[in-house]
Amino acid sequence: MKRKWYLTITAVFLVMGILLSLQFRAQENFASGLTMQRTENLIAMVRDLSSKRQNLSFEILDLTERLTAQKQAERDDKQLVSNIANEMNKLNIITGATELIGPGLTITIDRYMPILYIDIINIVNELWAAGAEAISINDQRVTANSAIFYAENSNNVFLTVNNHTIDYPVVIMAIGDAANLEKGLTIPGGIMDNLALFGAYPVLEKKDETTVVARNDTPHFYFLKEYKPEDTSSSESKPAANNQIHND
Amino acid sequence: MWILPLLGLLAGAFIGSTLTYEVPPTYIKYMSIAVLASLDSVLGGVRALLENDFDSTVLLSGFFTNALLAALLAYLGDRLGVDLYLAAVFVFGVRLFQNLANIRHGLLSQLRNNKQEK
Repeated sequence: MKRKWYLTITAVFLVMGILLSLQFRAQENFASGLTMQRTENLIAMVRDLSSKRQNLSFEILDLTERLTAQKQAERDDKQLVSNIANEMNKLNIITGATELIGPGLTITIDRYMPILYIDIINIVNELWAAGAEAISINDQRVTANSAIFYAENSNNVFLTVNNHTIDYPVVIMAIGDAANLEKGLTIPGGIMDNLALFGAYPVLEKKDETTVVARNDTPHFYFLKEYKPEDTSSSESKPAANNQIHND
Repeated sequence: MWILPLLGLLAGAFIGSTLTYEVPPTYIKYMSIAVLASLDSVLGGVRALLENDFDSTVLLSGFFTNALLAALLAYLGDRLGVDLYLAAVFVFGVRLFQNLANIRHGLLSQLRNNKQEK
């Protein structure tokens, strides 16, 4: 009998404990839930949350603005890089850093023809004048720094371009409108007529595709500096005077 | 000899707090009335022990049927639109205090008897 009440009471207390703690927790959760909050608290919570939300949306706006600014800057950078690359290509073509290909005219001069360096200069000048875009003589590119001259030793006189001797046959290649180039050389009283007087008959050949080699040596500049006009915004009085001088 | 039931209560509380089960919010009301009824039954059992007419069958049956019936009645009251919930709270509340008073009386008389025997 004694043992039995013990066990019963213990079992009942155990169940009681479980029930109580479950109910405790449930009630606590329920009371802290939104449905049990007072209206004032709910209003305050809504206000708080909506102001937070507003702040966050402002932040989103701000961040998207910054993102677009960054993207714009990146695009500008890319634009800049591609512009520079284009510029560089153009400069490479102009300064003769790259080999070029295009339709044009070749002028072949053989050893037996009585031709001096000055005639070569005339031919080249005439080609430029007739609209040649790039000219090479054998394996030498004619650039802004090119010199066409002669060199001699005890036996012989050599033609030189860019201080390199040129072997016969001398082949001048010019890229441009082939018909125009040819006409430029062959007009009556022009260079071809002139050379014919001396019994020199260079061979002209129009080609659909001629190759103009790249220059072999890069020019080095030790003395020259780029001239930059003074900035007009930095000081007001001086540039006015300078500008006047320039205009004169 | 009261230690074992107390341990049982603590163990029950511990088990209940470690359980992941959550009472659904709609049943919290009925659960609370069931807890009240079972609390009343337990106190009634303790009082019976002190008055020496303890019967485990009565306690166990009372414990569970009271709890279930109280919850059911509260539920029915809600369905019918009558606040039987309040009636249950009232009845069990009164009985709870009566039981507590009886337990106090029982304990006091036991103490007095012990003193007189000495």
